[in-house]
Amino acid sequence: MFDNLIDPTIGSADDGGPDPVTLASRPETLAGLRLGLLANPKRNAEQFLDQVARLLAEQHGVKPVLARMKHDITDTAPERILDDLRTQCDVVVIGVGDCGSCSASAVADGLLLEQAGIPAAVICSDAFRVSADAMAGLRGAPGYQYVTTPHPVANLSPDGVRDRAAAALPAVVGLLTRPGATASS
Amino acid sequence: MTATSLTDPVEQARAVAEYCYEQGWTDGLPVVPATKAGIEEFLAAAGRAPDEIIGSVAHLRRSVTVAQAAANAIMAGCRPEYFPVVLAAWQALHLERSVRGAWQSTSGPAPLIVVNGPVRSRLGINCAGGVFGPGFRANATIARAIGLIVRNGYGVRPHELEQATQGVPGRWSLCLGENEELSPWEPFSAVGGVAPGVDAVSAVLIRCCEYVDNRATDSAEAVLTDLADTLARIGAFVGGGHSSGGLVLGPEHAQLLGQAGYSRAGVQQWLFTRAVRDRADLAAAGKGDGPGSDPAQAGAAFRMMPSAAGIPILVAGAANAAISMVFRPFGWAPWSGRAVPVAWPPADPEV
Repeated sequence: MFDNLIDPTIGSADDGGPDPVTLASRPETLAGLRLGLLANPKRNAEQFLDQVARLLAEQHGVKPVLARMKHDITDTAPERILDDLRTQCDVVVIGVGDCGSCSASAVADGLLLEQAGIPAAVICSDAFRVSADAMAGLRGAPGYQYVTTPHPVANLSPDGVRDRAAAALPAVVGLLTRPGATASS
Repeated sequence: MTATSLTDPVEQARAVAEYCYEQGWTDGLPVVPATKAGIEEFLAAAGRAPDEIIGSVAHLRRSVTVAQAAANAIMAGCRPEYFPVVLAAWQALHLERSVRGAWQSTSGPAPLIVVNGPVRSRLGINCAGGVFGPGFRANATIARAIGLIVRNGYGVRPHELEQATQGVPGRWSLCLGENEELSPWEPFSAVGGVAPGVDAVSAVLIRCCEYVDNRATDSAEAVLTDLADTLARIGAFVGGGHSSGGLVLGPEHAQLLGQAGYSRAGVQQWLFTRAVRDRADLAAAGKGDGPGSDPAQAGAAFRMMPSAAGIPILVAGAANAAISMVFRPFGWAPWSGRAVPVAWPPADPEV
């Protein structure tokens, strides 16, 4: 209708749409698999993942082999950390996305690992579904599934973190093992 | 819309405004339509190539070109001659280490854009009464252009990737000129490394302003005490090694301090030393488990400001009341301390 009007969202010619992400195939069982953790520096994130790892080891026989923390909440994890996770782990748990930037970037990290064939379970708080979903779309994986835990996480006591991790465990296991559970179109 | 109304240019203008809303291109207020001819005017005013990339966010896979910035500046209501200032402000923001996560942050910070140099009078950038706006086209539209570039260029929109809990009043409207003429000190841009008298823009992301109204004293130290009290407020402390703070001093406070012999650095040092809290105060507010809780430091006051130089101080407003504003730089990284010279096209320096 207004042919002469410039679309202000169109920028560099290099800004193409994302390539669709092929998600990693899922193992039937987690027993004996090497588990990696990727935490962000938000309060309780590392503790939450530690509790998930403990439960995965106790109840599902995984072997926690690597725990890394990234120090930037906005960007994806540094390549050296992603490399370690890709080469030393069979499955990875990521989180906790409990802020505007880190929820989106946790999803982005998950998709980088999925692309390398590593099943990932990303944990975000339920307050940040929108930004997590937006990042999944931006990264070529609309509908990418992740685990949600009630917001907030930062103010939980150690007991509270333990309870939350236990509550999240079935969904984490589901995302890491159930074929087709990680994508919807 | 009827066929008759479509032939009416005024009705067409309204229809274009509605169309821009429907596309999701606006910040909630109407925008001026951007056209190819308009963009060419803006590019000429800045002497810049259209395809030059002036900002990228790798994690969002988006970058912004000069032409795209021009489109958004037009939409914001800028005149072409404002565009070099918009570009300098954009560059200054990208010097801030905290900028990468700012647009998605729950804290919803606002760019505070500060303009120095003769460009203030040439473009009508207000630096006196009502400096935080509204009412002045250059101030309002330069700041708004930045917001539209973030929205349309980086694709960061509220309730999507933008996750501000409440946001900051004036998020895309804080552009002010420093009142150099009534400041006792060198221009703010000189602190940022640009010679006095050169057009320059500085920017810092902030999480709101809080007034300090002190018309009751002629004591510089009394005013400093009042300012330090607000700087040291616990609510603004979000953990980490320190809080943050800066000042937009009204001319009356600035002149009182200047006449008492304080340089800008002297004011900064005074405030850094005295904007402190007892660690017990932090603990009482539930914020006692950070670096301030170090048992080795027990009993010592906790310095709320990152450093003396990390308290940005500028002067703006009217000399009609002894009122100043404390602002809160966003994030743990202090202000970059750098200003960006405005790049005018070489052939036509006097726009």
